[in-house]
Amino acid sequence: MTEAPVLELRGITKRFPGVLANDDIHFDLRRGEVHALLGENGAGKSTLMNILYGLYRPDAGQILLNGSPVEIDSPRAAIDHGIGMVHQHFMLIPVMTVAENIVLAAEPTVGGVFLDTAAARSRVEQLADRFSFAIDPDARVENISVGQQQRVEILKALYRRADILILDEPTAVLTPQESQELFAILQELRKEGMSIIFISHKLNEVLEIADRITVLRRGRRIDTLAASGATETELARLMVGREVLLEVEKAPASPGEVLLEAEGLRVLDDRGLEAVRGLSLAIRAGEILGVAGVDGNGQSELIDALSGLRKTVAGRVRLLGRDVTDASADERLERGLGHIPEDRQRRGLVLDFTIAENVVLHDYDKPPFARAGWTFPRQMTERARALIEEFDVRGGGPETLARSLSGGNQQKVILAREVAREPSVLLAAQPTRGLDVGAIEFIHRRLVRERDAGRAILLVSFELDEILSLADRIVVLYEGRIVGEYGPNVSEHELGIAMTGGRAA
Amino acid sequence: MSTGRTMLAHGRTALEPRRLAIIGIALAALAVWTALPPWMIRWEGVPVALGLLAAAAGLAAVTRGERRLGSWALALAGVATVAAIWAQTKDESSLGAVLNTGLLAATLRFATPLAFAALGGLFSERSGVVNIGLEGMMLMGAFFGIWATIWSGSWVVGVLCAMVFGGLLAAVHAVFSIHLRADQIVSGFAMNFLALGLTGYLFISIYGLQGTPPGVDRIPDVHLGFLHDLPALGGLLGPVFGQLNLLIWVVLALVVIVHVVIFRTAIGLRIRAVGEHPRAADTVGISVSRVRYGAVILSGMLAALGGAYLSVGFVGSFGQNMTAGRGFIALAALIFGKWKPIPTFGACLLFGFASGLAQRLQAEADISANLISTLPYILVLAALVGVVGRSVPPAAVGRPYVKQ
Amino acid sequence: MSRPGAEGGDGRPRTVEVLTAWFETRAGGLLVPLAAAILAFLAGGLVVLFTGNNPLGVYKAIFDGTGLTYLFPWVQGSERATAARNLQQTLLVATPLMLTAIAVAFAFRCGMFNIGGQGQYWIGLIAALVVGTHVDLPPALHVPACILAAIVAGAIWGGVAGVLKATVGAHEVISTIMLNWIAIFGGKYLFELGGPLQGEEEFIPRSNDVTASAKLPAIWGTLQPLHAGIFVALAALVVYHLLLNRTTLGYEVRAVGFNPEAARYGGISVSRNYFLAMAIAGTFAGLAGALDLLGWKFRVATNDFDVGMLGFIGIAVALLGRNKAVGILFAALFFAALQVGTSTRQLDPTVFPPALAVNLATIIQALIILFVGAEILIVSLWGARRYVRRGRRVRAQPAGGSGGAA
Repeated sequence: MTEAPVLELRGITKRFPGVLANDDIHFDLRRGEVHALLGENGAGKSTLMNILYGLYRPDAGQILLNGSPVEIDSPRAAIDHGIGMVHQHFMLIPVMTVAENIVLAAEPTVGGVFLDTAAARSRVEQLADRFSFAIDPDARVENISVGQQQRVEILKALYRRADILILDEPTAVLTPQESQELFAILQELRKEGMSIIFISHKLNEVLEIADRITVLRRGRRIDTLAASGATETELARLMVGREVLLEVEKAPASPGEVLLEAEGLRVLDDRGLEAVRGLSLAIRAGEILGVAGVDGNGQSELIDALSGLRKTVAGRVRLLGRDVTDASADERLERGLGHIPEDRQRRGLVLDFTIAENVVLHDYDKPPFARAGWTFPRQMTERARALIEEFDVRGGGPETLARSLSGGNQQKVILAREVAREPSVLLAAQPTRGLDVGAIEFIHRRLVRERDAGRAILLVSFELDEILSLADRIVVLYEGRIVGEYGPNVSEHELGIAMTGGRAA
Repeated sequence: MSTGRTMLAHGRTALEPRRLAIIGIALAALAVWTALPPWMIRWEGVPVALGLLAAAAGLAAVTRGERRLGSWALALAGVATVAAIWAQTKDESSLGAVLNTGLLAATLRFATPLAFAALGGLFSERSGVVNIGLEGMMLMGAFFGIWATIWSGSWVVGVLCAMVFGGLLAAVHAVFSIHLRADQIVSGFAMNFLALGLTGYLFISIYGLQGTPPGVDRIPDVHLGFLHDLPALGGLLGPVFGQLNLLIWVVLALVVIVHVVIFRTAIGLRIRAVGEHPRAADTVGISVSRVRYGAVILSGMLAALGGAYLSVGFVGSFGQNMTAGRGFIALAALIFGKWKPIPTFGACLLFGFASGLAQRLQAEADISANLISTLPYILVLAALVGVVGRSVPPAAVGRPYVKQ
Repeated sequence: MSRPGAEGGDGRPRTVEVLTAWFETRAGGLLVPLAAAILAFLAGGLVVLFTGNNPLGVYKAIFDGTGLTYLFPWVQGSERATAARNLQQTLLVATPLMLTAIAVAFAFRCGMFNIGGQGQYWIGLIAALVVGTHVDLPPALHVPACILAAIVAGAIWGGVAGVLKATVGAHEVISTIMLNWIAIFGGKYLFELGGPLQGEEEFIPRSNDVTASAKLPAIWGTLQPLHAGIFVALAALVVYHLLLNRTTLGYEVRAVGFNPEAARYGGISVSRNYFLAMAIAGTFAGLAGALDLLGWKFRVATNDFDVGMLGFIGIAVALLGRNKAVGILFAALFFAALQVGTSTRQLDPTVFPPALAVNLATIIQALIILFVGAEILIVSLWGARRYVRRGRRVRAQPAGGSGGAA
């Protein structure tokens, strides 16, 4: 008889309307191991962990801790059972301090009522010292880096004396070097007896950090295997269910003239701080320029400034040779700019519009969709029908609300709209975030096709893999500046160094 | 934060735009003052000259980037010049009748109901629930306060009853906006309408068309006779603070208490967390809906106190729709005060001052009562223009939270 | 940075949305409003019962007062004449209600909650009054001139709130409420004793009548007859429908209302639409004021300003009518009937005192607003609770509208 696992999930099943998110999943976690949960977007990893953390209730199944069944019906219960979770989207309150975030709901108090700020600060400092995190307890979360925010999340779990730690896609926001630092921390925690569940869809890092790997696909557990001896190809096949081409097929680029040019661009973020600090770049016809960098280094503001959605404080933007620095978003669209925005639901689509209404979001006021202020809905429907066909949008027709489409199909609608306008320059901000492999492949192939058709494409992505497989030229953005420019065959390591601000020689 | 940084970066010079704007505002104030005792200057040239200078300073500030304070200086320059020229047509005694310590006391009286409602709204909105039903909750407090006072013969029962019914109406708003995820603005608006109909119905049903009987037990004033005898400040403090309604003192204490609760206690931290990022609060084990229910109900109880002050404390009777938009002015004060208790109370004082001034002007000067009644509302609009763009509400306000 | 709004990226359709869509199509969007009205009447009946009256008798009396009995062929003789007069009143009240409801609905579709219909109504009425009393024009021109003045004035009054929202982000709920009070007290000032627009009678605080040339023709009845303004209101409903659904402006307004960020990305000026939507809303409310004045009021007195509620009832009408033209038509008739049925002149005071009934009507209106706003309640009462509990938000909030003063 071996020791009972610290955690065991038996037959967990969770249904969402129209989707079986978890189908009879078994999972176990041993003391002091790192157990990776591998699967592509939408495989059910986060659902499973949200069940474990008490955020969802399972429709069937059982959770056992140290061999005895427990009921986890709220995060409170999970915390009480020693489970801590670092969510993919951090659960931190930007306007509060690090210490406030960490002690929230378990505050040290004077007389049970008043906050004991001094005690909170010193406890946070103690914890941080133990794991040699350099962190200022009084800093506001909105003013610290993403990497530091992640450490705050880990400290939150440690503060609550967690001995099981769930990390949901923790490296998605980190540079390769920061990921290495995180792995070191995890090893440290593991030595102290902590058991860790590591959720990821990245094969290499799973092989690097995990002791065992459980693969999920479409809500089902496919296999659990030891990390030693497993290969990336094998894991990829398990994860996707077929052979996956890890590379996008494309011919070498044959760049033409410069179509979009930015010079000395300075842009402020929403808080009025300079997010883009004197940036210059040029994109040529027929090439994909990849912008690598960790989230929050000015990518959003750069895209906004290029597309005319945000004012620049200094610098010029030229589109097809004409100065458009002071031109509105609308004018730039007219002059040949296309833009796949980073947040498809907040910006890319009007979710309560039909597909037909969404595909004319830029052109609703132009013939054939409108004349003299009157719109022609039938023309919109026609356009939508054609695009649905061409871009293989599934789940509805022209009159379907965008809201009711899946993420991949929503993104296809956006891609279709932008590409169909035949722009000279296409800005693509995180075009595949959160999509499954099928949709990713579709979008990647289409972007390459558009490049081959002579468009200049600016690709912003936080996924180095995506940049490396698509871009013909790569620039690294760090703190609002371009800190390096590379050819398509640059190593991940080299990019990683640049992404943390270290200039590669 | 950011303005602070840029300021530091620029350093402090004599002609810094911010300082220019403040000089402009001061000049505008001076323009008014020249027409009042002890100066009593009776020549239009003085305020016009000062007003022009103030406007120039304001304009200079605006063009140099200090938009907010600069536009205040510009607006005040105009208002002050007009006010000063008007004041010049009056003699000292009639001016004295309007602008005296009584005006300060009136300011407090008018600010009190606003402050109760605004502090209530602060809890609700800090927890992430918009409460435009404050008006209705005040009205509930006003009616049930007087009803219970008449019924029991004691204002204490009246005030308690007011809070119960204000809290009840708030609880309905809470159910609809938290549990049923209705649009919080629509639900809050329905609360106002509901309170209007309900209090109107019961008022007529119970008291008929004659209205509430005279001689209702009132919330007492607090007499502080010794203030008059203070050596230096007695002349000022006595008339202002010497005889104020008990609830005015309560609201003054409440401002401090709310400040401490929101910023210095565990529960305050949790309320703010829920209003900023409910999911984050949920993941550390805070019950978002419990905090929100508590905050919304508390907001109704406080707003009802403001209503009870109007009926049981101030006039001793009830009239249909007697709150006359005060709940909305309280909301504006909350925005003006950036969802912080002390600045919010400051905004209530400002709006209270406008009401007090309007009341005294119509009594003492030959200005139409109706015309001057628009003054507080105009001031609220002006205040919105001056400040709102820079006032950031709690991040999750107005959004229903759904556990997954 | 953590992103509070970024969850839900999996893009699964939410059950409640699917379910709501089903109700929209299958029940023709009727279920929720109908159920809301029934619930409101039930709750209102409880209030009546609680204060010692028979709700059924009260509702019967109110119904008799609406004049809807005119539609029953078996109602004959003097009863029929009374019913006709009452029905004329109901239609008379429905006319401005349709317009104040459009004023709410149009702003709502742009993501704003226009509580300022009442003020815009008064400003429009005053503008029409000035032209109607101080300008001499032939009949063919006088009415259009009055209406033009009213809609311009209403547009300005609404536009102010729009400009404030577009430029400094002042929340329209607060600014329109302030504008209402300014219009009310300002209006009272104009017509008070010694006020600038007071009429010839020295001791009566009211205006003169508009000249005969500025009056709208009567079309049905003799004593306070129904006037031709109802056709204008019906035409306005058609205009509203076309404007919203078949013009580029309507497309922009709807896009901004659903998702201002996406609209901006699409190349639409959000602030321009905030302004336009509020100004257009004010146009409709101002028109309501003009039609009331030129159709049957002919003059205004200071105490009219204390009792005016049409702008507020318009909110209930718009919500009950789901911001759709046809819905507004029926909801306006419904609320007009309720209004007339509870009024002093139409309600039999031996059954129920009208002073109470007026407040009862307000309660019912409030409850309808409340219940229609919470369709999740209705849907769950319909027996779909199991799904609802799991679902998310029922309907897209007009994002700009309910986000506090962002």
